[in-house]
Amino acid sequence: MSTNAAKNLFIYGSLFCFLVLVILTIDTMGKLDQRAPEITEKVAAGKKVWHKYDCIGCHTILGNGSYFAPDMTKATERKPKEYLKKFLLDPRAIKQDSAMPKLGLSEEEADSLIAFLEWTSKVDTNDWPPKPILASATAGRTASTGQMLFQKYDCAACHQIQGLGGTAGPDLTHAGLKQPDVEWHIKHLKDPAGTVRNSAMPNFSHLGDEDLKALAEYLITLR
Amino acid sequence: MQYQSHKIAQNFYTASVLLFLVQVVVGLIAALQFIWPDFFILNFNTIRTLHINALVVWLLMGMMGATYYVVTEESESELWSVPLAQLQFWATVIAVTAVVAGYIVMGLNPQTNTEIFGTRALNEGREYIEAPRWADVLIVISVLLFLFNCLMTVFKTKKFTAVQGVLLGGLTFLALMYLPGMFYTNNMVKDQFWWWWVVHLWVEGSWEMIAAALLAFMLHKLLGADVKVLAKWMYIETGLVLFTGILGLGHHYYWIGTPEYWLWVGGVFSSLEPIPLLLMVWDAFRTTREVRGVVPNRIGLYLTVAHAIFNFVGAGLWGVIHTLPQVNKWTHGTQITTAHGHLAFYGAYVLLIIAMIYVTLPSIKGVKEFNQSRGFQSFWWMTVSMIFIVIAITGAGMVQTYLERLLGLDYVTVKASYNLWFWIFRALFGVGFLVGVLILVKDILGFGQKPAA
Ligand code: HEC
Ligand code: HEC
Ligand code: HEM
Ligand code: HEM
Ligand SMILES: [Fe+2]
Repeated sequence: MSTNAAKNLFIYGSLFCFLVLVILTIDTMGKLDQRAPEITEKVAAGKKVWHKYDCIGCHTILGNGSYFAPDMTKATERKPKEYLKKFLLDPRAIKQDSAMPKLGLSEEEADSLIAFLEWTSKVDTNDWPPKPILASATAGRTASTGQMLFQKYDCAACHQIQGLGGTAGPDLTHAGLKQPDVEWHIKHLKDPAGTVRNSAMPNFSHLGDEDLKALAEYLITLR
Repeated sequence: MQYQSHKIAQNFYTASVLLFLVQVVVGLIAALQFIWPDFFILNFNTIRTLHINALVVWLLMGMMGATYYVVTEESESELWSVPLAQLQFWATVIAVTAVVAGYIVMGLNPQTNTEIFGTRALNEGREYIEAPRWADVLIVISVLLFLFNCLMTVFKTKKFTAVQGVLLGGLTFLALMYLPGMFYTNNMVKDQFWWWWVVHLWVEGSWEMIAAALLAFMLHKLLGADVKVLAKWMYIETGLVLFTGILGLGHHYYWIGTPEYWLWVGGVFSSLEPIPLLLMVWDAFRTTREVRGVVPNRIGLYLTVAHAIFNFVGAGLWGVIHTLPQVNKWTHGTQITTAHGHLAFYGAYVLLIIAMIYVTLPSIKGVKEFNQSRGFQSFWWMTVSMIFIVIAITGAGMVQTYLERLLGLDYVTVKASYNLWFWIFRALFGVGFLVGVLILVKDILGFGQKPAA
């Protein structure tokens, strides 16, 4: 190949590739609205708060950003809004060893942020993040009613037992040693904030007495 | 022949290496914050912003210095306007200082990051392009002044060489690709879509064009290799970079809410991206082997070849391992990405700029012989440390992908306990890297002052 031929190939080939990119971009822009819920005013306000506090400087969202903190794409999926709001306002007030500092958000800002994160969780991401293989393999393999309820109400979103589960609340591997009283657990599940000062755990008072008892009995077996 | 314009290239080099030092010092702080989150008065996000912005800015300033040098030499003439170039240098320094001050103020008190004209006053809160809109405008003006000055020089002297063509073409592409990041959208998917235009089309498009041009320039200057042959391979390399890289953009559109066809477009084109990078390695070796006799500037040649190799390893290999959607589905947004980011930037651009500095500084300073041992020392401190940093972080990424993504353990658990030792290794080798940078800064700032003993 002569130098000139190489030059022409480079110039026209690149321009052609760029043209294809522009066409794909136009097509994509036309399809995005069907792949995500409507952007309400609150969602739009939440996105501004996201930028204002530079959340992306620690977190990823849709998998892009910084790798210092968990991905936010599905943050609202497993945790109730009330909990997230308390956390955003002052992470260390409800989780002493949290690596996230208090950023000074107002209540209103926290609410719109949560609306924004709820919007993100509903974007069609071609099934990302994928469901972990082990978690789906062991699902449903349980023994007691209490254990089943623990799964049903997704206590593992916030609690760990033997290394599996979230870190928002305390590790429950030895919950029965720390608090062996069934009645205490029932009371705590019904009204966490009335039982433990400043508790950010959601209350489970909507559960029937039997379920609460089964859960509590399961908890005290954790030793 | 000595030019006034070369003085400006040297100013840019000095600013570059000083910012490099800042980048690595804050990088070390960021690494320590992985172990102790409250290690410093500024939170991790601000430190990280400083780290990556210093990186991008010093590489850009290095490219500008290098370009002023190349244009002067290829055109065999002073720049169209030396005072304009001087002005552009100082304007850039002042703008950068203002932006950094803004980040720090925002980091200390986020409430200062108010909204003006629909965007943020101090920090836009978008990775890499955190610089606020007013700074974007200043950056664009600075780059336009720079491009204008270089293009006027070329048009005045009418020496349209191949290297100048690709170099200035790459820089124009670079300037244009800054624009998609300069508007606000309330849709996060669109936000990330256009954000990747900037980030990807920079590092895997325009910057690689610049790298191919500078590689050809250095091989010619160091070895006196045939310009025609170099030019031909340069065109083939840049052509392939853009054929694969432009549509390779699709590897960032797998999971952000964009249609499924991107899995195919991104997967196919980005897997081909290592090919031109491998060609550059071959090009460097072929040219080096053809030359008989001693090359006086050994360190310059060493760095040039090292750049070609690590460009291929960091960008090509460490990129291709996670570029297929089947793999990326599990590794997306993990430490694997950080490992690749470090080795790619180091090999492709850090070594490129340092090589250019060592290749051109002797002419700028008018010295024939200089003490090369410090250059080698700094190269080895940096390169060995970087390799170990990347090994540590690749390890962390593999553990994270396995435990968090495949097994379903919690993010915080994996980071705080399973990966702790990797963070410690990274910080330790970070110190080694810093030693290398300190040697480099000392060598560049005092270059040619004492003749070789
Ligand atoms: C300085 C770094 C940093 C910044 C800035 C930051 N975060 Fe965090 N965030 C973390 C870390 C680290 C965690 C992990 C939890 C822990 O350590 O307790 C976290 C946890 C969270 C969680 C809880 C996740 C869960 O599943 O329990 C949410 C929600 C969250 N961050 C949202 C945000 C939002 C929204 C912003 C911006 C307003 C933000 N973060 C800014 C570091 C940060
Ligand atoms: C949104 C997060 C969240 C969810 C979901 C959650 N918890 Fe909690 N939990 C917490 C927090 C935070 C605490 C610490 C404050 C407290 O003790 O109330 C806690 C505390 C506890 C404790 C006391 C542990 C100790 O060491 O003091 C128990 C027991 C407990 N939770 C059980 C459960 C059970 C059972 C469920 C499911 C039905 C559940 N939690 C769901 C957040 C959560
Ligand atoms: C030429 C120099 C290159 C540089 C400097 C570079 C740098 C980077 C950086 C910094 C990121 C992280 C971006 C972020 O912060 O979110 C990234 C992501 C990525 N790069 Fe590169 N890259 C280069 C080339 C390549 C090549 C050639 C390939 C593929 C063959 C590649 C594949 C990828 C992929 C797949 C990701 C996304 C990772 C994820 O999903 O999290 N890169 N690159
Ligand atoms: C002392 C050496 C260095 C240390 C300790 C260090 C540390 C870090 C840390 C902790 C992060 C944040 C990663 C995260 O969010 O998880 C980071 C990001 C980054 N660093 Fe460095 N760094 C060093 C040198 C460098 C060098 C020399 C380069 C350029 C070649 C570089 C380029 C980057 C880039 C591009 C990012 C952002 C992209 C990403 O996280 O993938 N760093 N660095
Ligand atoms: Fe890319």
